Formats: sequence, structure tokens, C-alpha cells
Amino acid sequence: MTRRRFVQNSAAAAMAGGAVGALSHCGGNATSNNRGQITFGSYADPALDILKEVFLPEFERDTGIRTEWVEADFSGWFQKALNDGQTRAGAFDIYVMDDLWVPRFAGASYLANIDELGFQADQDFVPAALDLGFWPPKTGLRQPGIDPKARSVLYALPLISDLQLLFYRNDIYSQGSPKTWGEILQVARERSDPARRQYGWVTRGVKGNPIVNSYFVLLHAFGGEMFGESWKVVFNSLQAVEALEFYLSLLAYEPPGVAEFDSDQEGATLLQGNAFAATMWTGWCGQTDDPARSRVVNKINFDVPPKQVKQVAKLGLFMAGIAASAPNKAGAQEFLKWFSSPSVQLRFARNGGIPFKLSAFQDEEARKKSRWLDAILKCLACGVPSPRTSDWSKVEDILGTELNRALLERGKAKQHLDAAAAEATAFLKGAGYPSG
Amino acid sequence: MDSSLELKRPPEAPLLRRHRWARLLPVALVAPTALFALAITVLPLGYSVVTSLQEFRLGQPPAFVGLQNYQNLLHDVNFKNSLGTTLVFTITATAAEFVLGLMLAMLLKDEFPFQGIIRSSLIVPMAIAPVVVGIIWRLLYNADVGLFSFAVQTVTGKSISVLSSATLALPALIVVDIWEWTPFMFLLLLAGIQSLPQEPFEAARMDGAGPWNIFVHLTLPMLRPVIVVALMIRALDAFTVFDQVFVLTQGGPGTATEVATLMIYKTAFRFSQFGYGASMAITLLILVMVFSAAVTRAFRGTV
Repeated sequence: MTRRRFVQNSAAAAMAGGAVGALSHCGGNATSNNRGQITFGSYADPALDILKEVFLPEFERDTGIRTEWVEADFSGWFQKALNDGQTRAGAFDIYVMDDLWVPRFAGASYLANIDELGFQADQDFVPAALDLGFWPPKTGLRQPGIDPKARSVLYALPLISDLQLLFYRNDIYSQGSPKTWGEILQVARERSDPARRQYGWVTRGVKGNPIVNSYFVLLHAFGGEMFGESWKVVFNSLQAVEALEFYLSLLAYEPPGVAEFDSDQEGATLLQGNAFAATMWTGWCGQTDDPARSRVVNKINFDVPPKQVKQVAKLGLFMAGIAASAPNKAGAQEFLKWFSSPSVQLRFARNGGIPFKLSAFQDEEARKKSRWLDAILKCLACGVPSPRTSDWSKVEDILGTELNRALLERGKAKQHLDAAAAEATAFLKGAGYPSG
Repeated sequence: MDSSLELKRPPEAPLLRRHRWARLLPVALVAPTALFALAITVLPLGYSVVTSLQEFRLGQPPAFVGLQNYQNLLHDVNFKNSLGTTLVFTITATAAEFVLGLMLAMLLKDEFPFQGIIRSSLIVPMAIAPVVVGIIWRLLYNADVGLFSFAVQTVTGKSISVLSSATLALPALIVVDIWEWTPFMFLLLLAGIQSLPQEPFEAARMDGAGPWNIFVHLTLPMLRPVIVVALMIRALDAFTVFDQVFVLTQGGPGTATEVATLMIYKTAFRFSQFGYGASMAITLLILVMVFSAAVTRAFRGTV
């Protein structure tokens, strides 16, 4: 074959390939009755399985809109979503987000204004769940640079009502759920037996987000807060120190090495029957009664974390927002409308999903199938989310590092909280916060 | 001029010479590849440099801040610590991998039964994805049910929590790196040893030189170019370690294993301080380039 002939043949092959692709595309549009496609980007999480496996196919059948689900690990997806938002690449129509991403994504205009798209939220939404989708936040402190008088706008809807609730062993706490943190400590002291790998409590101690989430519940239960007026760092207050000292006092009744425990090890310890109680994410609820995964089937009950001064649960909902650069905003909006409709939410709950509509929480059949729904609804009522600022991740990292150090040293609570507060204050001042 | 040379010249050549563009033909042929290489290397690097001179605030366009990010880096104790941790990790891991790799290469350089199986099994760790390596070792190091804790408890009666110990966590990460990358050193050094000419070794043996003398005075000097390349490749790779640290410790406990790459990742992608993260990345790049240049200069003529 001559060079000229080769070039001619190659060009012809390329043109034919292009034509086949183009024609098949046209044919697809012409022959099928679909209404385009929406692409979801998400982190991988078992709590999303029902949505992916049962409800997306149903949505496709109901609406004729095809769906594509792209997922990565938590950090990987966060990075991809940020890139997509920043470059406006339009690779995704719906971002699945942790609720603490909402300030960053909405604040940077990576999300479409759902209000403007004409979405009307009804009264059936659990208020605490819906509130997390607004930016600027409806209540509480507002990040510097945000107009204090600016109207709160809906940028994301809840997808899964994830939060931390108390998991406790009903054979150990035979009188019902522990009402105070003191009771947790007392039972741990009396019944822990490290020789038989029986521990009164288990926690996540890995630096950063895991340990901060563990401590968060105690901090608020003891009357502490993360920030005071004008973003003043107050997680080294007297109440905060007391909460951390209490947290450290539980260490004597916990498995060795909790300073390196993340959710997986915490959950495994409880499900293997080695711990009496823990505050864990709702994703673990379904596994407690699964004999393939749990040695404590029907021995775990659920409730709001105990009270000291206050009774609070930590919110960490999965949210869904429409990308500002979404190629199919109408399709994405249709999905949000469809998924939040009372009938779909009801079926979602009856299939074992964690809904965000009050009517679904109150459904008898759903409550029978998922015996943790009542506790989750109670937790939503007293739930506290992560502080609504796009800079929370940095502060969380600073605090998490010092909490982890305190855990390793099994003491010096005040010293470590003061160190974290000083570093966080310096960071916030540098980032333009009024009094840090 | 030799007329036979004239005859061998291809018939098109005089025609091409007539055209001015013919001289540009090689450039034109190379240009697409060169442009592609530029696009995937120089442009992102340039973009990173520009980013490192900017500050990103929520909801606002990036603001040019000159060298402010670099000035802040000078006072950033955490970044300095992470560089120190990276340096300790790199030096210790690379040195240990070199010594072990060389020992293995010397041990397995000659023909022996089942050498194929043994050599293949030795390089298995290198073939496993670093994230998977991290997960495997996380289980091994687990304080409650891990193999290490079990072994230590059997011997001493006390359990040990390797990854939550500020003194043991970094050595534990170094052990993981050694396990994974010693095979790489072994492969390079084995190839180097086997390519050495045999005559000097035979002459030395005939002159009565012992194995140690042969190793020190012949093998090592002759292997020097391979050693330098192997050390350089491993050191540069260790400088940018990320996966194992991310999976095993997340930089903890405290900041005991917070290497520079992890800090850069967190700063840019978790905290959205893209400008500051980029300035860290550029600083690390400069340090790695200085290191490479120093090594190349020190061993000029041997590599």
C-alpha cells in the first residue's frame, strides 16, 4: 500500500466512524421516547444503594429521563465536584453532597438556585433537613462577605436524613436507653471487661472530621458551642473542656487504639458485640439486624444521644443540588421534585431508606420495617449541623488534630483546646472573620 | 566527491531541497508531539504558578496577592514540620530499601532452582495498588485484632497500638514503604549486577581477592551508575508519598505523619485554599528539583 493510499483509507475510515456515531446519536433521539439524561455525581455510600438500585430505574420508567450515576470515594468525589463547579465543565447535573459542602458550593455559585427554577418546598419536609439546603443560612451566624440582610435561598434538597444517633445494647441497658452521659460512664465502669473484649463505649478517634464529629455531640450536650458571637472561637470554654475531659474519661472503657478508629472500626466493634454503646451514623442502622454482618441482631436499640445540659444529635445529611453548569437542569429539577414527592418518599422509607418527609417517618409500615425511624425523627428535631461556613473544614482539621493529641495523651484537655482555639482564631482572622 | 554517493541519494531529495518549507518539515513533524507535551506539562505548571500568586475567597473572583502566599509559608510551622516529616520518611525509607534491595540482589544474582518463582514472588508487593497496600497494613497494624498487636501481646503481654502512637506511626509507614518498594530496588540492582562484565571479577578471584573485597572494590564501584539512578528514582517517589499515609493515618496521630503532599492536598481541596496549596506545591517542586540537581552534580560523570 502506498502512503497516499494509506492516508486516503485512514481518512475514509475516520469519516465513516464519525458518520456512524453521529447517525446513531440521531437515531437514538428519533426512535426512543426518552427526555434526555441526568448525570449524578456522588460519593460511594451504602445508604445510597436503595436510591440507585430501586428508585432511579423507577424514575426512568416514570419520566423517560435516563440517569447515570458516577461515584467515587468521599474525598475523590469532593475534589471532582469542586473541579466541575469551578470550571463549569457541566459533567454533572446533580451533585450529591455532604450538608457541610452546601456553604462552599452555594457560596461559590456552583449550584443552581432551586427557588428560581420554580421548586416549591411543601410543609411535609422535616424543617431541620430542608434548612440545610439554604444559603445564606436561615438562622445563626453568617460568613464574612455575605450580606447580613441577604435572603436565604434554596440551593439543595435533602437526599438521605443521615445523622448520628445513639446505638445501645438493650441487653446491657435493660431499663431503656441511657438518659445521661453519666449513665453511660457508670455502666461502662461497672460492666466493661477488656479481657473478654467487652467495652462500655467506642468512638472514632482519627484526627480531623471523625473525632470532631464524635466530640461535637458531647460538646453541645455539655452546653458548649463551636463559635460565639461574631465567630469568636469558644470550643475551649469551660463547658467544652468539661466535655472533652468526660470524653477522655470514657477511654478507659474503650478498645485499645481508638485514636486510629474511623467509622468502619467503630461500627465493626459494636456489631461484633464488643461495645455496649456508641454514637454512629444512620447508615449502620440496617446492618445491626443483618445476621451476615452483626452478632448482635435485635440487641441494638436506637435513641437520641444522652443529655447532660442539652440533648442534641449531630446532623450530617446527604444533600442534592443542581449544578449551575448542569446540561439538563429541567431533568435534574424533575428528579428532585419526583424524589421529594410524598408517595415516593413513602415507598423509599418502606424499602428501608431514610426519608426526609414527615409523612414517611410517620408511616406504620415504614416504622415497622425500619425500627430506627422514630429515633431518627427525634434526632432531627434536636439536631445541630456543622457550622455554616465554607471555612469549617480548616477549623475542623485544626480542632481534630488537637483532639486526637488529647486522646493520645489521655489528658491535657484544656491545653489542647486552647491550642486549637488559638490556631483557629489566627486562621479565621486571616480569612477576614470579624473577631475570630 | 564520490559519484557513487550521488547515485545512492533518493530521487526526491533534490526536489525537496528546492522548496523552502522542506527544511521546516522535521519541525512540522515534531511540532504536534512537542505542543502536546507542552500542553500536558508546561501549561498546568504555569497555571499552578499563577494560582500560587492568587487568593481564593468564597463567591469572589481570585485576587492577585503577589508573593503573599510564599511569605505566609515561611511562617507556617505546620508546613515546615510536614517537610521535615517528608525528609525523614524519604531518607530512611530509601536507604533501607537500597540496603535490602542490594542484599537481595546479591543473594539471588546466581542461577538456582525455582529462581523464576522466587524472583516473581518477591516483586508482588510492588504490583499491588498503594491504596490496597494501605488497607492491608491498616488491618495488620490494628490494635485490637491486628497481627502485630497479637505478636507483641504474645511476647510482652501488652497490646500495642502502632498507628496511634506518635513515636511509632512514622516508622510504621516507613516499614510499609520498604515492604512495597524494596522489590523495585532489587529489580534495578539485580539487572545492574547481571549486566556487569565478568572479566574483572574472574581476574580478582585469580589474584586471591575474597568475596567482601570483590564486593567493596569491584561490584559497588562498577554498579555506581545504577545505584545513583535507583536511589534518585526512589527518593523522588518517596518525596511525593501520599496514598499509604492517606489510608493508614490521615497524617495523624496529631501531625506525626503529616507529609507535605497530604498537607498540600488538604489545603487545596479540603480547605479550598487553592492559592496557598499551589504555593506549597511549587515550593515542594523547587525542593525536589534542587535535590535532583544536587545528586546529578555530585555524581556527574558516573551516570
